[in-house]
Amino acid sequence: MRRLSLLLKQYSRSVFVVAGLAFLSTSVHAQGDAAKGEAIYKANCTACHKIDQKLVGPALGPAMTTETDDKFLTKWIQNNQALIAAKDPKAISVLNANGGATMTVFASLSDGDVANILAYVRTTWKTMQTAQKTGAPGQTAETAPSDLTIYALIGVILLAVIIILVLNRVIGTLEKLLVKSQEILAAEPEVEAVPVDRFAILKKYAKNKKLVFFVLLTGTLALGSWTWVSLWTTNVHTGYQPEQPIHFPHDLHAGAMQIQCQYCHSGAFKSKNASIPSLNVCMNCHKTIDRRKDQTEASPEIAKIYDAIGFDPKTQQYDSTKARPIQWVRVHNLPDFVYFNHSQHVKVQGLKCQTCHGPVETMKEVYQYSPLTMKWCIQCHKRTDVNTKGNAYYEKMEAVHDLIKAGKPVTEAAMGGIECGKCHY
Amino acid sequence: MDSNKKYWKGLEELNKTTEFVELNKNEFAEPLPIEEVLSGTGLLNKTPRRNFLKAMGFGVGAVTLAACEKVPVHKSMPYLIKPEEITPGVANYYTSTYEGQAILVKTREGRPIKVEGNPKDIIGGGGLSARAQASVLDLYDVSRLKNPLKDNGDYGWEQTDSFVKSELAAIKAAGKKIGLITATVSSPSTLAVIADFITAFPTAKHINYDAVSYTGIIQGNQNSFGKAVLPHYNFDKADVIVSFGADFLGTWISPVEFIRQYVQNRNNKSLQAKKMSRHIQFETSMSVTGTNADARIGIKPSEEGPALIALYNAVSGSAVQSTGNKVADNAIALAAKELLAAKGKALVVAGTNDVATQILVNAINVKLGSYGVTIDLDNPSHQYAGNDAEFADFVSQMNAGEVDAVFFLNANPVYDYYKSSDVVNGLKKVRLRVSFSDHNEETAAKCNIIAPNHHYLESWGDDNAIEGFYTLLQPTINPVYDTRQAEQSLLLWSDNPAKDYYTYVRKNWDTKLLAVGGLTGQKGWETLQQTGFVKAAPKAAGSYSFNYALDGVTQKMLDHSKELAAPAGKVEIQLYQKVSMRDGKRANNPWLQEMPDPVSKATWDNYANVSPNDMRKWGYVEGDVVKVDITKADGSTYSVTLPVSSQPGQAQGTISVAVGYGRTIAGPVGDNVGKNAFPFQSLRNGTVQTAAIATLTATGDNSPIAQTQTHHSIEGRTSIIKETTFKEYLKNPASRTGEEEDHKDYDLFWQKYEHPTYNWVMAIDLNACTGCGACVVACSAENNVPVVGKDEVHRRREMHWIRIDRYYSFNDKGDGGITEEHKLVNLDNFDDVKVTYQPMMCQHCDHAPCETVCPVLATVHSSEGLNHMAYNRCIGTRYCANNCPYKVRRFNWFNYWNDARFENYLQGDHTALVLNPDVVTRFRGVMEKCSMCIQRIQAGKLKAKIEKRPLKDGDVKVACQQTCPANAIIFGDGNDPNSEVSKALKSERTYYVLEELGVQPGVGYQVKVRNLSESEA
Repeated sequence: MRRLSLLLKQYSRSVFVVAGLAFLSTSVHAQGDAAKGEAIYKANCTACHKIDQKLVGPALGPAMTTETDDKFLTKWIQNNQALIAAKDPKAISVLNANGGATMTVFASLSDGDVANILAYVRTTWKTMQTAQKTGAPGQTAETAPSDLTIYALIGVILLAVIIILVLNRVIGTLEKLLVKSQEILAAEPEVEAVPVDRFAILKKYAKNKKLVFFVLLTGTLALGSWTWVSLWTTNVHTGYQPEQPIHFPHDLHAGAMQIQCQYCHSGAFKSKNASIPSLNVCMNCHKTIDRRKDQTEASPEIAKIYDAIGFDPKTQQYDSTKARPIQWVRVHNLPDFVYFNHSQHVKVQGLKCQTCHGPVETMKEVYQYSPLTMKWCIQCHKRTDVNTKGNAYYEKMEAVHDLIKAGKPVTEAAMGGIECGKCHY
Repeated sequence: MDSNKKYWKGLEELNKTTEFVELNKNEFAEPLPIEEVLSGTGLLNKTPRRNFLKAMGFGVGAVTLAACEKVPVHKSMPYLIKPEEITPGVANYYTSTYEGQAILVKTREGRPIKVEGNPKDIIGGGGLSARAQASVLDLYDVSRLKNPLKDNGDYGWEQTDSFVKSELAAIKAAGKKIGLITATVSSPSTLAVIADFITAFPTAKHINYDAVSYTGIIQGNQNSFGKAVLPHYNFDKADVIVSFGADFLGTWISPVEFIRQYVQNRNNKSLQAKKMSRHIQFETSMSVTGTNADARIGIKPSEEGPALIALYNAVSGSAVQSTGNKVADNAIALAAKELLAAKGKALVVAGTNDVATQILVNAINVKLGSYGVTIDLDNPSHQYAGNDAEFADFVSQMNAGEVDAVFFLNANPVYDYYKSSDVVNGLKKVRLRVSFSDHNEETAAKCNIIAPNHHYLESWGDDNAIEGFYTLLQPTINPVYDTRQAEQSLLLWSDNPAKDYYTYVRKNWDTKLLAVGGLTGQKGWETLQQTGFVKAAPKAAGSYSFNYALDGVTQKMLDHSKELAAPAGKVEIQLYQKVSMRDGKRANNPWLQEMPDPVSKATWDNYANVSPNDMRKWGYVEGDVVKVDITKADGSTYSVTLPVSSQPGQAQGTISVAVGYGRTIAGPVGDNVGKNAFPFQSLRNGTVQTAAIATLTATGDNSPIAQTQTHHSIEGRTSIIKETTFKEYLKNPASRTGEEEDHKDYDLFWQKYEHPTYNWVMAIDLNACTGCGACVVACSAENNVPVVGKDEVHRRREMHWIRIDRYYSFNDKGDGGITEEHKLVNLDNFDDVKVTYQPMMCQHCDHAPCETVCPVLATVHSSEGLNHMAYNRCIGTRYCANNCPYKVRRFNWFNYWNDARFENYLQGDHTALVLNPDVVTRFRGVMEKCSMCIQRIQAGKLKAKIEKRPLKDGDVKVACQQTCPANAIIFGDGNDPNSEVSKALKSERTYYVLEELGVQPGVGYQVKVRNLSESEA
């Protein structure tokens, strides 16, 4: 269904674009090619501008629609600083309107490129405005049902009530008939023999020693194995997938977008904690990205980041008084009496995060992949070769040296890595 | 010699009291109800079968229900905006200052959790005292004031400011006096703020008031040389040290520095160079310094004056008059001889606060040529500058109604002034009384405004403990409560143009102090923040002429001595400071309260130390409560009731009582611990005196003292402590290590443990250890060791992973044969006892007896020579503790982290923030012990691995080693022949405690060497 709606959306968008293009041909301002302009716009402008909103720079849609002097706009875009240096009055006023911040110089853009951009921005802004206008009455229609529909609904309900009443009557008559026939049945004498027969069957079964033995055996086995399994899995939370305050999709970030784990979990290389990224790390990207590529509306999940850090996307301002930390739910819980250090495993041994955390890049919401039991730790410490290559630390260790010389695998266990005090202190 | 030297841990052991013999049979302090159970009485009627079944049913049900509880959901909250320098899980270190000493503060996620010495610090050289180690806990003290108070009601800072400013304006207009009473301020910036304040209010006066004052020395120097300074002493340059009651290794002026200097002439390195200093101590009570002395002579306070006069006469070659104490006479003759022989490398110090006595000491030092060598007047110490007379004057001015405003910074005279009532009455006549105390305390309670100061770890500032040595104090955490730095308050109240103390400090350094270290500008400031201090080249020694008529001085001393001599039926009382509690300002610190006193091994209390002979004579037993009464010269009286403690070495006919106890408003931990001894002091000739005459009366009560001694009987095993004399050492460096004796080899069934990677071992130099106890607190801070309180210590349940055993010994010159243990009871001479300290922690035996008896393999051996303890595996049988020959295992009797009985210690909302997140807190029913700071070992290894380099010697330092000012503890890899520890263990003096058991301990001790003279040996 979602796909269908997406398809519909895309279809409708293309219809809009076609309509826009048709409109374009009659437009007074537009001389450039909006389709070409889109590519140039996305390559150069989106870091600082949005069409409908203020980002670092002003919202381009209104700005370029109100400013009709394309020559000025072209000069400004190509080299705004030259204009300012030349004390162009218009340029100065634009500069002041934006708090004195100059724009990056785009000397590489030809006049044609700029014209294309202008065309793209103006058409897109226009379609946005028309979409808003047409969208608005539609919404009110949805939220406030018309009188007609209310009457229709009441009619349907009345009809249903009448049907129910009629059916009730029918059922009542049928029940009466049934009671009458049962009274006839009750008069027959075989009725008492039925429970006697049942007991007899049970007794017969009870006398069958093989059956009793079999039942007891399976019962014991079932109970025993249930106890065994439940004891082994007590406090083992493989698959634990709590609901997080923000529905953060790892599949999108680590999977589709291919962002390195350490970009956000930067502690993994340096510290015992891989650490949950602080919100300023989120904002590195999400200051400009407030929705999925395919969405027109800002994502409510990303808005939660803004709420938490006290960021207003409209004004692009931070307000630390409104900030409050996000309370993530911890997925991987080790008991206090275990010391685990990420950097030991990620930096020194060079393990992939997925070794323990599983295919995070496919997880819509993170769950606990490994059992995190001591058995699981020890198994790995016994089986995995230690990454001694090129690490002078191990060169001085006699024991390791001997093993390497003998061509034997150097596991963590061989270096005392399964002794209690290596993790419990 | 082995035969006639006896060691004992406490007098109970020496005297073999019935109680001790009884207790000695049992491993644990409390008897087990075995007899009761076996005889059946325990089973008969106490718990009927039905009750038992009910209880069992309920128990099973409750446990099942409790086990059904859902696994708690853990929340993780990341930083909103992570500070660049912080990586969660990685510690940051900042330089700062503790009482003038350069330190490093370890912070985790922005909160300080440990204080370490700055390795380049000129005072401690990386060593820190127990008090410095404990200081981080004060930061999180939940009883700190959380906002300003006016008349004990909450008040805002703005209101406080406007109130104080309007009051000050009125007082200024009226021209009335203003007093700024502080404990000695040695911070240049604070002094500048005070100077600015005085400029704004010309009637203001700054008075340094120290609870334990050094006015005597400062005045003495003023009189002798015209220079009113506290000199800087160089114990490292002294070959012969004679001290009269100066506890320079424990409490006197700058003990950490003096320990570092002192052991330089006594440690392994010095011994190998065939050099050892000689130290003679004359004192009343047994101090840490006295216990370390080669010769220690107990003298009464009244004998000190005549003894010093005799020494002066002996040194200057005049006729010597007897002091009336034969032992002292002999000792003085000997001391004089040795001092003269070491002329130019000798040092005489006295702890007294009497000006006349200090002048005479100066005279002796002049004769010995100490000035410019062992005593430095040109680069003086600024640690104490208190002036007793000035404060006494101020108190009388208050009482006369001349003072209208008083500010207390770090000073608590209502508690620690000798005449507290005068201060209280005087304060009633003062209009504006402001305290900067961060706690509600005795003086603050009498003030109308309390403007709580920051803790030093929250403050900007600086310090100048020794001339030319300037340290920077920088904050390591945002203020925990709504407090404000006192300097900031003074700046605001005096309308100073600098509105912010940080900029003020910065300006002070930019314009003056940075240049001292050759630094300038922003870059210089940043360098300073990293190094923590600047140091100027020491000033050259000036020449000083001593010309002060000594006749008057000696007369004054003799008069004083006469006043102090107790008539029959009375005793002389001497006040002293404990190493942990000092003047009592930080009584609310549970780590300090629970730290055993180095000498008496008592915690959580003060008491009257009495010589064992006097105990017998007066019919007291340990813990008997006596009433101590004094009548002062002005007719006023003071009395307290104190338990008595039998203290070998205490001069006969005297008692000594520690000050710093008996706080009434200190906080939930420190309130009403012990009794206040400050009022025993008196003012004489302008200085506060700490000796008096007292009457003792038994009250009939007994209040046991919570001591950690006799917990772990040595059972007469003499191989625990070994000592030799310097003479013997010179002849044979391996003397008395037990090398000469044959050892039985018990290695019957043990496999040999291989240590293929590392072999973590430790060497402890008994000759360097002064017993100061810094390691005990450092260990508690590093390893989250719980505080258990007085009652539990009394039940012998203290949790310290490292203890310092203190053994008394003495030479029995009698028949030369073996002195049987029972004969010791009849000995009279408890005055001439010798003391050896032995830091004792888990010995990490290769053939550990604890490992073999653990039924659940909770304690096992590692391939790196460590004895691991897996707490989560332990079921608490305590078999290991029973089987440990060193008695170093500690059992968690309670859940100290949640039990309401211990909530005052480390459970506060903020107090728990001091815990080391790399070490788990142990639960009830679990055994714990020294892990050789395995978290540090692992961290050191990991760091090396990440940096792809081999682990270097010194990369891993254990907490006790790091804080030890004497460097008595060396830790490292025994597999590396070039490591410091390997070298130390190769020393001829090395022996292993209880080596004959064949447990192969991993901690080697180095024989204690005493520099005894011919006549003593």
